[in-house]
Amino acid sequence: MQRTRIFLTGVGGQGTLTATKLVSLTALDEGLPVTSGEIHGMAQRGGVVESTVLIGYLSPKITFGEADVLLGFELLEGLRALCYLKPGGRFIANSEALPPLSVATGKADYPALETVRAKAQAVASQALFLPCRTLAEQAGKAQSANTVLLGAACAVKALPFGMDALERSVRKYLKPALAEVNLKALELGAKAALA
Amino acid sequence: MANPLLADTPGEVLLLLGNEAIVRGALEGGIGFVSCYPGTPSSEVPDTFYRLSPQGDYIFEYSTNEKVALEVGAGAALAGLPTLVTMKHVGVNVAADPLLTLSYITAPGGLVLLSADDPGCHSSQNEQDNRYYARLAGLPCFEPATAQECKDMARDALHLAARTGQPVLLRTTTRVNHVRGPVKLGGLPKEKPSKPFERKLQQYVPIPAHSRVQHRQLLDRLAMFAQEASRSTWNKLSGAGEVGVLASGIARCYLSDALLEEGLHGSVKVLELGFTYPMPDELLLEFVQGLKKVLVLEELEPLMENHLRQLLQRGGIELEVFGKGETLPLWGEYSTEMVRQALRLTLGRQARAPEHCAPETGLANRPPNLCAGCSHRASYATVREVFGSEAYYSSDIGCYTLGLLPPLSSADFLVCMGSSISTGSGFATASGKPTVAFIGDSTFFHSGITGLVNAVYNNHNILVVVLDNRTTAMTGHQPHPGVDHTVLGPNERPIEIEPLVRACGVSNVVSVNPLNHKASKKALESMKDAMGPRVIIFQAPCVIHERRTAGKGKPQVAVVEGTGAGCLDVLNSLACPAFVKEGGTMRVDEELCSGCMFCLQLDKSFKAKKRGA
Repeated sequence: MQRTRIFLTGVGGQGTLTATKLVSLTALDEGLPVTSGEIHGMAQRGGVVESTVLIGYLSPKITFGEADVLLGFELLEGLRALCYLKPGGRFIANSEALPPLSVATGKADYPALETVRAKAQAVASQALFLPCRTLAEQAGKAQSANTVLLGAACAVKALPFGMDALERSVRKYLKPALAEVNLKALELGAKAALA
Repeated sequence: MANPLLADTPGEVLLLLGNEAIVRGALEGGIGFVSCYPGTPSSEVPDTFYRLSPQGDYIFEYSTNEKVALEVGAGAALAGLPTLVTMKHVGVNVAADPLLTLSYITAPGGLVLLSADDPGCHSSQNEQDNRYYARLAGLPCFEPATAQECKDMARDALHLAARTGQPVLLRTTTRVNHVRGPVKLGGLPKEKPSKPFERKLQQYVPIPAHSRVQHRQLLDRLAMFAQEASRSTWNKLSGAGEVGVLASGIARCYLSDALLEEGLHGSVKVLELGFTYPMPDELLLEFVQGLKKVLVLEELEPLMENHLRQLLQRGGIELEVFGKGETLPLWGEYSTEMVRQALRLTLGRQARAPEHCAPETGLANRPPNLCAGCSHRASYATVREVFGSEAYYSSDIGCYTLGLLPPLSSADFLVCMGSSISTGSGFATASGKPTVAFIGDSTFFHSGITGLVNAVYNNHNILVVVLDNRTTAMTGHQPHPGVDHTVLGPNERPIEIEPLVRACGVSNVVSVNPLNHKASKKALESMKDAMGPRVIIFQAPCVIHERRTAGKGKPQVAVVEGTGAGCLDVLNSLACPAFVKEGGTMRVDEELCSGCMFCLQLDKSFKAKKRGA
């Protein structure tokens, strides 16, 4: 077993915690020793959601420079969490923005994708950006953007299990009505990651 | 299908949140009664009990505050039922009065108090260390570190409480409440334990003559618990060597991972405490034998460290103790990295240089914000329109605290749950300034009423604004005495706030919908220059809760294509998350707009349209 620390970050409502739970459940079903943690005091109110999945560790917490994999469900939040990534770790993020209020009201700037890419490449061995929301809409539901990102991460072997295991989990743990869309989302994420 | 938490399926492994695991542990321990006041990070415990209550064989209630929850729980345990009372750490301050005497009189059915502490203040106003309450009240204390331990310790705490009558503290921290990990289930009891109440005046009625005796009995029990802690399987000695580490709570997980990464497993001597109070002196003395150095790992206060130092001094044992200091602070959370550094320092190894890029500075922040369509935004905007910065704003605890930032700027000071009316009263009287106290509906029932009675009694010159959104929104939409509906059905006896306020002796009271701008403004203006205590009840349902209960949103949304000063003023004064400014133009994001239509009343450039049209 490869010990792994995965840091996930996004904005309330993006399904970051659903994705976290899906990764943890898949790991458990694959017989891996999994611990996961979440901090979401005020997530419902548009705040930042940070969570972790660790394989082979007891602690649910990840500190600066410890994450082997960083999943950014939102671009700005991915950049904010970049310091958690271990040098040489892997960064996989949604390239599509969800601007915070200060940006939406014209009081602050949103970082350009190319800036984020350059900063990520300076730390990560691989920095991958995908238009998750667009791909999710292609899959049939904008809400499956979180699954697109998981599909991409799994395809580049950043998750501790294969695509077949993740597909089994989507069927087993998501509502039946959402399974097909999310399987499609996994596929589109994987395809975009390997393109 | 029965919820897996209620199924008698020993051996099954479930991925559970720490808080869900506590629920399962209590069920395995034969729980009969649960009371609580919700508060992050404890809330999923009572919320899970609540959701399962139609199928579960136990009695559950959300109480009006933590003191009431503990008193109700004490009554249930006196009547013989194994009882769990849950709250966040600051809630124990509210419940401290019954707690400190309950430990004298005991609770024969068995009572466990869950205190969910919050090192790092993830969602709290302070990071007090409630292990002090174990010492102050004389409560045996369990501190789980994993989801599995959350379950097993909840069960064992309940068993210990039922066996001895001594109330037991189950103390968690945010990381433990919100850890998710595999939990192997145990069996559920076939029969519900219950001990019918037997009248014993000397035991249960603490008049001074009884209390003096009971205090000594409590001290005897604590001495017995210390011996029990030395033999408890929750307190584990492992490894060998001349360097020892004593650890409790989540620090045990950080220690395990740090030993792994430093390649030190087995080569230092480790004492892990799960049954952490009373301290197991016999075991501690066994642990320190042959040690030259000992590192103590505990978040927040140096309670184990100070006890160990005292024990060493009493026994004349020479030993270098590494504890609180620059590497291991008295504040915030620990981490694996922090423990690695502390281990290296203790072992005389070179400190580790950090290997990570610097945290980005200057990024646009994403503070939690009042939701689009939240009635609190409308209330605050109108209050500011009428009172501006002339008035001082006494705030309280709930979603509405989020109005503190500009442009709403609705909080000048805040002390604790239920404080806004009383603290505002003192401020108004001492300063002579116009003062407005904001308080939510659940907080008003929690402990605002007494402050209002006091304001009437002492004729304080204060305007109280009750922000009544018909739910306990911040902690996850739990019901409270005033709601007319819960997830389990209608509330047969809702307590209306306005008659309650009048019964407290306030004659100047108005109820108004804050989303009606004109009526709200008129109400505020009529009270602006009035004297004495006066109350406005701003009543409009929480927009998230309403959408969830109705299963759908409002049919209309606001729309604007504006560059005019009018609509930009509204953008700047409301800061609604549905507003988007691109260049000099603003628009309303239809997906985010809740359809509250408050902005339409502020500027003519906003129009209504059918959602999706």
